[in-house]
Parts: sequence; structure tokens; C-alpha cells
Amino acid sequence: MKCALLSNVNVESIARQMVAHEVYIAQGYGAWTRELADPTSGSLSYGPSSVFLIIDGAELMRGQGGLEPTLAEIRQHLACIEQAAERLPGIKFFVSTIDVPARALRPLKEERIERHLEQHWHRGIARASASHGNIYIFDLKELVEQVGRSFLYSNKRWYLGGLRFSTAGEKLIARELERVLDAQLVARKKCLLLDLDNTLWGGVIGEDGVTGIQLSETGEGARYRDFQLRIRELGEMGVILGVVSKNNEADALEAFERHEHMVLRKGDFATMKINWSAKAKNIAEVAQDLDIGMDSIVFIDDNPVEREAIRTELPEVTVPEFPADTCELASFFGQVFKDYFFTLVSTGEDRKRTDAYLANAMRAAERTAAPSIEQFLTGLGTKIFFSRANDEDLARAAQLTQKTNQFNLTTRRYTEQELRALQTTPGAEVFIASVADKFGDNGKVFTGIVRRDRLGTAELDTFLMSCRVLGRFIEDQILDQLIKELRTNGLSRLRVQFIPTRKNAPARAFVERLQGGQVVSDEEDGVRTWEFDITNASPVTQPAYAELRMQPVRFPKALP
Amino acid sequence: MEERLIATVASVLRVPKSTLTLHTGPGDLEVWDSLAQINVICEIEAEFGISIPVEQVTEIRHIRDFLHYLEKTP
Repeated sequence: MKCALLSNVNVESIARQMVAHEVYIAQGYGAWTRELADPTSGSLSYGPSSVFLIIDGAELMRGQGGLEPTLAEIRQHLACIEQAAERLPGIKFFVSTIDVPARALRPLKEERIERHLEQHWHRGIARASASHGNIYIFDLKELVEQVGRSFLYSNKRWYLGGLRFSTAGEKLIARELERVLDAQLVARKKCLLLDLDNTLWGGVIGEDGVTGIQLSETGEGARYRDFQLRIRELGEMGVILGVVSKNNEADALEAFERHEHMVLRKGDFATMKINWSAKAKNIAEVAQDLDIGMDSIVFIDDNPVEREAIRTELPEVTVPEFPADTCELASFFGQVFKDYFFTLVSTGEDRKRTDAYLANAMRAAERTAAPSIEQFLTGLGTKIFFSRANDEDLARAAQLTQKTNQFNLTTRRYTEQELRALQTTPGAEVFIASVADKFGDNGKVFTGIVRRDRLGTAELDTFLMSCRVLGRFIEDQILDQLIKELRTNGLSRLRVQFIPTRKNAPARAFVERLQGGQVVSDEEDGVRTWEFDITNASPVTQPAYAELRMQPVRFPKALP
Repeated sequence: MEERLIATVASVLRVPKSTLTLHTGPGDLEVWDSLAQINVICEIEAEFGISIPVEQVTEIRHIRDFLHYLEKTP
């Protein structure tokens, strides 16, 4: 991934550590504000998707006379960052917090103005981040606090080469920067499954009983309570939580219902497999029930035998080592978060996800009760809102292209920046749809990209939908509507491509139920392309079960 | 000791150990520039728990020059 590293100290050595990415370093390391202000500067014209501003507090304050002039300079810097962010909405700016060591020996009576400066800077970038979607906080100060100045900085390197950080410190910073870049590329895990005994609480519920297990506000039992607090935070960020435990279900549920210090409650979990079956079997069932891949599951269990069994039988499931010292449970979980669930922003969609899985369970119950699938689908009262993707939708649309594997015709991944560019490309259009029904709002679950040529043919570059609304023929209805739009817009043919992957069987089923297509190319790796005449007919064979509302926008945009 | 020294330098420069001997030094390899030289010195200090005085840094022209400091350590 292309990124630029701007700093008021020499960071070239940090860039050299980030071998997996293309990193641009401004020449002349003091020039960071000039680089930001000038759109033709090397770091901005290089086309990075992310720009990091690593600001050294000591250097920022060097040569300043007193508090007021320093604050004024900080304001100038912040304004400069905000202007750059406004001018370049497609670039993400990660601005570091600052650490300002005490400048001189001082008596105990004197106030430490460095603390003011750190605070002032932090408040400034927090405000900038709140008002600019593309400004993020890179918490360098937090890193200093965690490892200490004597570890992170090096006097020798400073005097020898203007290098502020120690070699170990540089490695640490490089790893954090890479984490931020990777979070934009790699799909994070979706689901955390937890064992119960000696994992969520100390002791064995079946033997010790609700009053006997270790779980408390203070003292030893607080190890598990603090762990549960962190897990709940993760749930609030939209990660699906589940339980996989060998226990009598009634015993375990009693603990969740009756223990006064239990943080997590039954409603926090989208699934609970509490029985005596092999855990591999239970986890496989969870993947099926929730319609997620094994590779999006993380499993935490204190028992090394269980961990090893899952690693052997379900190698795609991630099984972190459990800390030997349970005092480290909460900090262990901090690392689990960073390694598997790290995300730049927690979107509203993410937070709604667990609710959505719960609503799905209710839908499943209704489906079993309904006399026919048609009656069930009609009874859901589904509403589809279909429109051209506007600026605010693009983050979600990009996330969908990154994460959706099952109902995805072409599995092309796009960044938000790329989608933003498409929205201004003649002949191309990104569209999006949200779905709601009587059980709740599923949010924006559908996106696609259509491109047109000059001869009246439109091509589906991307057509995908989150698996949580699969099986309701929503995709058929959206394609039917899309075809109507294309026809109104004077297009006569639609080209549809299917690129097979290990996971997209649902997309294959969809293209196979379309009617009247002519295969125009059939490649060796199973990639197949059809063309449909859409002047009078629609390839969609399924009746419409939902009410579809369309924002009246003609698309795709005309070609010049 | 010599092997550990070469391994340390190789890992800082991100080159195979076979490209280095005790007689290799800054200037012999393109990646071994002045910035890399600072990284090499600091990594060796950390790896062997020694401290090389700033005044003597310029005297280090080959990997073997580090041996002088390592022999002094217990």
C-alpha cells in the first residue's frame, strides 16, 4: 500500500522497516508543513492512500519562547493539516499525538507547561478528527507511555543522525504504522467464540456453582471481570460474540442470569453452544448458523487440549495462545484485538451487526413456522432502498467489497478511494441498497458497480450482497430494478460475469437462475460471461417479495 | 562471537549473511549508507550490551572493528 511518512525528525529508518509497503519520505525532514501545504509536493503527488504525520514533541517545541507563541504555532500546524485533509478527501491522514519531555531541570514549585502542550495538541487533532472523516489519531504518546522514553528514544542516535527513536522504538512504531495500513487491506475477523470455565470466570460452574466461581469487582475474581469488560467492548464494536463450552447448559445459563458480577449476559451472545459435543463440531455449526467462514472466527479457550484439537480439525479458525498468568487476561485481550479485530473506525453498520444476527435467529424461527417459503418471504415485510452511492455511503461500500465472499459475482476488492474515483468516472456508477423488515434494519447490505460502453451495453463490474440477507431473492429484485433503470437510460444489453472462488457458490446459484443469457466467453478457470438483451425482457425469474424504493437517479452517467 | 556479529549486521541491512565478512564495511554495500551505519552500531550495542563512545564511531570502518569492543566485554 502506498503511504507517505511526514515528520519533523528523520524517519527514513522507520520507513526502511516497512518492507511490505511503498513508503514515501519527504526530502529534508523539517519540511513537513511545506509538504502538506503544497499540492505538488512529493509526498502528496505520489498518490498515497495514507499520510502519516509523526510529530516529535521535543522538536516541535524547540526554540519556542514561552507558552503563547508555542500555542500559536500549534494552531497554525493544525490548520495546515485540516486544509490538506479538506483539499484531498481521498487520502487518510493519521496525525500523531505528541510526547514532550521536560525541557530543563526545574524546581518542584514550577508548573510543567509541556503537559499543556501535549493536551492542547491532542485536543486540536481530536477536534480535527471529529470534523474531518479522513483525519485519524495515531497515538504515539500512548506508545511512549506503554514502553517508556528510555526504551523508545535514543540519545546516541539523535546526536549521530537526527534519529529520535531507538532501533527497538523504530521497530515498534513501524509495526504500529503497518497495523494501520493492514487494517485497510485485510478483512478483520467477524466472530469471537469463548469457552466458559476458567476463561470467562475462574473455576468450574458445574462443580463450584454460581456462588463458587471466581468473578468479582475487586480482588482475584476481578481478573475475569476485567476480561469480560473488554469482551463486551469488542461486542459493541460489532464483533459477533458466541459461547462454545462443555457444560450442562442449565448450569451455565444460571451463572449468566444470576451472578451479580457477570458483565456479559445472554443477550450479548449471538450464539451459545453449551453441550458435551466436540468443540470442533460446535464451531462448525456456529459458522453455518451465522453464515460466516471459518476463517473469520477467533476461538479463546484456556484448555491447551481443546485449542490443539481446533487447530488440527479446523485449521482456518484462529486460536490464540491463552496467557499462562490470568492476571494478564485483559492485556492479552488487548493484543487479540490489535491482531485480529483492529479497525480504524467502528461504523454504525458494525455496531448493528450483532443485533442483526439476533434478528436473523428470529427470522429463522418464523421460517420454520411458515407453511411455505413464499408465505414466509411475503410475511417478512421486506423493504429495499436502492440508490446511487453518495459520498457518505462509500466507506461502507468499500467495506462490503473487502469483506463479502459468498454472494459476490466477481469478488473484486475496492478501497474507499477507488470507489470515490469511480463516482466521478464517466460511464461508471457505484450503487448501494439497504434492507429492512419487520424484525429490524439490516442496514446497507448490498452494493454494485455498473459500467457502460458507447454501444449501449452495460457491464456488472461488481454485484454483491452481505450473506445476512441471502435466501430472500433480494438480489433478483435489485437486478430487475437495475435493468429497468438501464433501459430507461437507453441501454439495450447487460453483460454479467461470474468469477468462481472457493466461497461464492451462492453467486453461482444466482447467475444460473437468470434466463435468456447468451454465453459470450467461457474461460479455463471457470470465469464465464453472459450477455442479456434487456430491451424488452428481464433475465430475472423470481417474483418480487419486497417493496423496493428507488431514488430516481439515472445511471450510469453518460460518456462524454 | 564473530558469527553472531555478522548475523546482527546482516539482519540490520536485510542482506544474506554470506554477503558479509569481517572485512566488509560501510561503502562496500549500497544498502550500508550512513543511516544504516548508525542502525548497525546501535543494534550491535543492544545485541551485545555494550556502548561505543560517539568519538570512536567514525573509526569503525569494517565489521572486524567491532571485535575490539566486544573483547572488552565480560
